[in-house]
Amino acid sequence: MVRPRRFAWLKYTALIAGLTIMVFPLLWMFRVALMDAGAGISLANIASSQFTLDNFADLFTQNNIGQYLFNSIAVGLAVTVGNILFCFMVAYALARYRFLTNRLVFISVVVVLMIPAHIIIIPLYVLTLKAGIYDTYWALILPWLVNPIGIFLVKQYLESVPPSMEEAARMDGAGEFRILFTIVMPLCKPALAVLSIQVFFTNWNSFLFPYILTQSDNVRTLPVALALFQGHQAIDWQHLMAGSAIAVLPVLILFAIVQKQIVSGITAGAIKQ
Amino acid sequence: MRRILQISLAVLFLTQASFAATTITWWQFWTDPGIKPVIKAMVDEFEKANPDIKVELTDLTWSNGHEKIVIAYSSGTAPDVIELGSDWIAQFAANGHLADLSESVATDSGEYHGWSLATYKDRLYARPWFLGTRVLFANRDLLKRAGYENDFMPYKLSDLKVAARKVHLLGKDIYGWGSNAPEKHRLYKKFLPFMWSEGGQIFSDDGRMCVLPSVHTVSALTIYKELHDSSGYVANQRGIEDAFLDGKVGFIISGDWLLKRIELEKRKINLATALIPGPKFPGKSFLGGEFLAVSESCEHKDEAMRFVAFITSPENQVRFCQANRSATPSSKTAQQDPYFSSTEPLKIFNKQILSVKHPPVDPDWVVIEDIIEKAVEDALFGSGLIAEPLRQAQMKIEHLKNK
Amino acid sequence: MRSSKATAFVLALPWIVTFGIFWLFPLLYSFAIGFTDYQLLARDYHWVGLANYVNLFSDPAFLAAIKNTFIFVGGTIPFTTVIALAMALLLNRSFKGRGLFRATYFLPSITSMVVIALIFTNLYSRGGYVACLAQLIGFTPPEYGFLYDRGTALYSIMAMDVWMSVGYYMLIFLAGLKAIPDELYEAAEISGAGRFRQFFSITLPLLRPVMLFILVINSIKSFQVFVEIFVMTKGKFDTATMVYFIYDSGLTTHFSFGYASAAAYVLFVIIGLFSILQFFLLRRRQPLW
Repeated sequence: MVRPRRFAWLKYTALIAGLTIMVFPLLWMFRVALMDAGAGISLANIASSQFTLDNFADLFTQNNIGQYLFNSIAVGLAVTVGNILFCFMVAYALARYRFLTNRLVFISVVVVLMIPAHIIIIPLYVLTLKAGIYDTYWALILPWLVNPIGIFLVKQYLESVPPSMEEAARMDGAGEFRILFTIVMPLCKPALAVLSIQVFFTNWNSFLFPYILTQSDNVRTLPVALALFQGHQAIDWQHLMAGSAIAVLPVLILFAIVQKQIVSGITAGAIKQ
Repeated sequence: MRRILQISLAVLFLTQASFAATTITWWQFWTDPGIKPVIKAMVDEFEKANPDIKVELTDLTWSNGHEKIVIAYSSGTAPDVIELGSDWIAQFAANGHLADLSESVATDSGEYHGWSLATYKDRLYARPWFLGTRVLFANRDLLKRAGYENDFMPYKLSDLKVAARKVHLLGKDIYGWGSNAPEKHRLYKKFLPFMWSEGGQIFSDDGRMCVLPSVHTVSALTIYKELHDSSGYVANQRGIEDAFLDGKVGFIISGDWLLKRIELEKRKINLATALIPGPKFPGKSFLGGEFLAVSESCEHKDEAMRFVAFITSPENQVRFCQANRSATPSSKTAQQDPYFSSTEPLKIFNKQILSVKHPPVDPDWVVIEDIIEKAVEDALFGSGLIAEPLRQAQMKIEHLKNK
Repeated sequence: MRSSKATAFVLALPWIVTFGIFWLFPLLYSFAIGFTDYQLLARDYHWVGLANYVNLFSDPAFLAAIKNTFIFVGGTIPFTTVIALAMALLLNRSFKGRGLFRATYFLPSITSMVVIALIFTNLYSRGGYVACLAQLIGFTPPEYGFLYDRGTALYSIMAMDVWMSVGYYMLIFLAGLKAIPDELYEAAEISGAGRFRQFFSITLPLLRPVMLFILVINSIKSFQVFVEIFVMTKGKFDTATMVYFIYDSGLTTHFSFGYASAAAYVLFVIIGLFSILQFFLLRRRQPLW
């Protein structure tokens, strides 16, 4: 495949311009986060101000950010573990058993996949209130323990795994659940890895539901706290950006490590429609 | 031996008493380190004076307080005594969540200002704790630089407009007037004093008709927009206060919390305060306040009322207001305390509180408020005639009232 | 076989329960209360028939929200799609540093929306970075900042949204491009077809399923825009969208659950119709382009 390279420079110019535009706002955030809290956010100050970690320290000592961070991590982990387990179970049922009711289950998964989640904010709010889980971790965890995209992902993967090993184990008289968790689950590791990363990221960044279903600091997550810092509290841009950096850093680090899984998770869902 | 017996009897009696105590729950908003101890001390004193009553304190925050109260009332978990902002009372009273206090407060009604804020359909639903109003804050240094004498203060809205413009022209990054951006629950509180001072009203005197697009209101909104256009620093309330304290803004309208901020943050600003200007000086400022209400669901209404009366007593108002730097207690006796005339700004606040108005006590007020804010927003940031947004607002309000 | 049916049922139970409690029930419930005057604070509520729907369509705030939402959807999706496709084409062939470009382009997509909205609130502010840039190239920026102006607020948020989501759709396009067999291009090359010809007669037609997928998920997502509005403008300056309207009427001050639920169902129907429309337009055998 030899192609004329006349436009190579044009291509690189476009790519680098794109790169600049895409990273600039994030760099801006880190720069402001590391600025002196007293200084105004002018271009001159951005260039000349000294670097300091004080804003980060302040957030932990004065703004309770440790608590929000903890809440985000706790809720994120709980939801992720739930999804690994439940999406796997449901996907297995859909991939290996085929009869009418199972078709119905599958249809419900597809339907929910197409439903705009934001239209259920009111009933979900009422539901958590009446169930007495409003403003608790449960409200942030229970509705999201299994999600249709995750079921889809694992089901597709399972369909590419031949059932021969399960059948062999079944011949040996192993129970269904033992087969499921000791033989099939390890085989699904790649799909489950993709799933868990996606779920954790989505949960980590989610705002609307954690915001409407909670009201106290000891359950609110980081994005909710950040959005409410602005306006309700005497907080300057330096601290706001430091808080934002705290919310972004784990994602960046995780992204650097598991980029491949993230990419394959997104494309797998898209291409096999 | 007899002594021991006495003591043990006394102990027995005390423990029994505390077991038999009635518990009252109280939700309130004051949590910062300067005020919380005062709240605690008042509760302790009340418990000591009333050994049969125990008070359980829960703190609310301004960011989620309203939602928390709404949920509590809807799910039957409301406290016995509750602190309510004046603009919330009608909403809760109309839905039958607040106890009718009309009979129990009849005896000392002369002692307090602000009853009308808690009166819905001729019944009283809360007791005024302390009131809040807005006055004009100015940066004296900027005024001097703009060529004004040391004691200059605008008496008419047109004076204010000219002075703000002169300050505005002092230089880049200096602004004449802190103009509120459309921020929910904030913008209307800034515009209504202009409207009232010019003689405008939302409803006709009998309350039947919306008379928003009157000549008075149109002229008030015109001046308000001129101020905004010719010398406005536009930001949310917090933002304009920040800019004012940084010495970048000539005039803003604000409340006593700003005095507190100046003091606690040790801001160096050459501050001047003045009454709201208006054709009949002083103009009419905005009246709001914090109230204590007893829930309809409360099982010990007498005890709760006793507690409310205690917290709002003149002495306790003085204590609380001093700690919170609140300028305007609701008690007339408390107002006579030397503290409230100890500084120039406090004197201004206590003069302004005699020339105030408040929005109608109406369960639909939050909706009406939204409509008025939208009209002001349209006038300030849209293009077109000033009267048009007011006329639209009038239509919306009448539509709402006819429902 | 009976036992295996039971096993399947047990395995599917987590989804069945979640679906029933957190999806089916809320959907039916909100459909029902859409016909009542239910407010959180009121002691009782009444059937009001279609009154909520009638009132919605005479409520200027709701009509404005529909308009803003359509501006948002219509104004972002074409840009997002075209830019994402262009990026994917640039990154389709292997070259040195491709991984780095791909990763950075994608980065905003995995960053929290709240954080991005906060950063851009700062960048768009009065005298902020974007205002300086605008002045540099000879534009007069809005006096009080891009988000404090009716003419620019919504468009500024839309631009941010395009910036944020192109990387995600680029990845999907890349996967779609990868699935196109090289032989097709080779054959085209031999028959003398130029690059543009190849793009229009091979790449685009074969990308149609991917394109459909992207348009559908992007519009479902864009119709629900909320977080950026909440953080950046609180619905002021003509930026209130439908979900913001639902939030504002249903979960603040009055908690009018009935009214807000009716609004949610209007949104539901709009999104449904839109998805079906796109589906039929792009499913056609003949290429549209």
